[in-house]
Amino acid sequence: MLRLFRSEIYRLQRRWMPLLMLLIIALAAVGIYLLVYLSVQAQLQAVRTGAIPSPPGGEQAMAQTLRQLQPDRVQGIGVQIVSSLGSLMLIVFAASHLGTEFGWGTFRTLLAHGAGRGAFLGAKVLSLALYAAVFVFLGVVAAMLGSYIVTAIAGQGAGGPDISAIADAGRRLYYTLLPYMALATLIAVWSRSAGAGIATGLVVYLTEGLVAQLLVSFNRDYANIVNYGLSRNVGALIRGAASTTTIQDPSAVGLPDQGQAALILGAYTVVFLALAYWRLRSRDVTVGG
Amino acid sequence: MNPAQPVNLRSYAPAVTVQQHEVVLRTKQLVKRFGPITAVDGLDLEVRRGEVVGLLGPNGAGKSTTIGMVLGLITPTAGAAEVLGRDVRVRREEALAGVGAMLEVTSFYPYLSGRDNLTAVALLRGGGALARVDPLLARLGLAQRGGSKFRTYSLGMRQRLGIASTLLADPALVILDEPANGLDPAGQREIRELIRELAGENRGVLLASHLLYEVEQVCDRVLVIKKGKLIASGTIAEVTRGGGNYFEIVVDNKPRAADILRGLGIKEIRQTPTGLDVVADPTRGAEINRALASAGLYASAIVPRASSLEDVFMELTEPESPSASPVS
Repeated sequence: MLRLFRSEIYRLQRRWMPLLMLLIIALAAVGIYLLVYLSVQAQLQAVRTGAIPSPPGGEQAMAQTLRQLQPDRVQGIGVQIVSSLGSLMLIVFAASHLGTEFGWGTFRTLLAHGAGRGAFLGAKVLSLALYAAVFVFLGVVAAMLGSYIVTAIAGQGAGGPDISAIADAGRRLYYTLLPYMALATLIAVWSRSAGAGIATGLVVYLTEGLVAQLLVSFNRDYANIVNYGLSRNVGALIRGAASTTTIQDPSAVGLPDQGQAALILGAYTVVFLALAYWRLRSRDVTVGG
Repeated sequence: MNPAQPVNLRSYAPAVTVQQHEVVLRTKQLVKRFGPITAVDGLDLEVRRGEVVGLLGPNGAGKSTTIGMVLGLITPTAGAAEVLGRDVRVRREEALAGVGAMLEVTSFYPYLSGRDNLTAVALLRGGGALARVDPLLARLGLAQRGGSKFRTYSLGMRQRLGIASTLLADPALVILDEPANGLDPAGQREIRELIRELAGENRGVLLASHLLYEVEQVCDRVLVIKKGKLIASGTIAEVTRGGGNYFEIVVDNKPRAADILRGLGIKEIRQTPTGLDVVADPTRGAEINRALASAGLYASAIVPRASSLEDVFMELTEPESPSASPVS
């Protein structure tokens, strides 16, 4: 599998899509910090000049938001930014990473050159995991950079970042991305299509969380059911990392504890990958994949 | 010749030098069924080092399925394929380490250059494969376009790159499925020469091709399969000898001419659009001409022909040929 992994990395380095995604997450992380800062500053200015009426507690809330943008709070809002964008982008990337091999017919070519199916999937998953690690690292670093930039623009004295808290939040974020990437991988392998993997991954990511939130808002007891899904466990781990911040979120009601969340997300990841392997192993490869 | 019956050929008896050569590929009663359809039905074949074996058959005969099973892409329903004595199902990676294969549809990464594609395969192959990338690009005439993206390659260049990739692992067995697809005549000739060179380098070559002329030029042996069954095998001479010699006679009154020729004791007479094909000893041309002229039938041409591989292939694989129906 090591040879296949080397070949995988060689190809990955020469493909524009992963590099473009790294660039996008870096720019987006910095850009969102700037956007939030400029937006809040403009609102503050408008309130202070009387151009708009001040909402109850509005100025304080806005000041609180600006406080969240400082480097010592990157583990909160910075990681949330990378999580929101990163999940979508890594679902797209994971499905594409597998699905294009079938579309281009290169899966068949690799097998004909002696690659094993298990080794193929192993190398893909390993390279995907490595890429996601680089992606999260770069995103979090970019978020830190964004926080320093807005702090400098504001002329505030920047508190130093809590590196261990940021590392912990990044680690949790990375872990929460794995089941979504594994799901996109499974669907791409099953359907032999990047498009199906992307569509399914995005639909699950976007709707499962929404449905879970709605159910819990109707009746808190539903948390006992939806806490076995993905989104609530992701929420539990991410919010656990941000617990030092003062973010208040009603959707956090009844979230599972972090140990259970980690266990469930790990189980989903393993099951999705095992199914992908089973499907890949049992299929005759005739045309394309 | 009745196409439904197996061709009466000597079983393959390789020359003494070939007998000493190692068998690089052997299939034993290979069977593949897709639901109710039997794509390959009890196929036994052997390829030895230093020989080129042609795998012939009409579309859907089971050639690509056979190759798929040899490469472990398709799981056989029964039987086994062995490469260098290793069962592909049991020891696939070991077995395929000695195989270079080019499939019918040459697929590479479109965003990589030809050189990068070969490098990616070489990294997968390991060993000295990386060092062979540039020499192989040069050998296949791709040195100047090695840096161009694969997606910009013509069909012929893609085929060449596919062939180059088969040689990265310095294989004992080379499997080529329609390697001349998309190549111009000069390119086809180069590929034929290359295939002979590969055999000269003591590799076994299994060549699946629709180009019977190509097969006739390069193969030491041919295997003809139809509906998944081996229906003929042997050297080119053995296979074409089964087809025999014949005369192509261009004549107007075909039924009358056929009667006259039957009177000469000639039994195999087939009607063609321009006249008759008559299976007879090549020395009987004058006798046929004299008999027809005596009856007032003047043939425009009486041309002695030897059955080509194409003739034999058509007879074996097409039960009813519209251009050569028997005269009743």
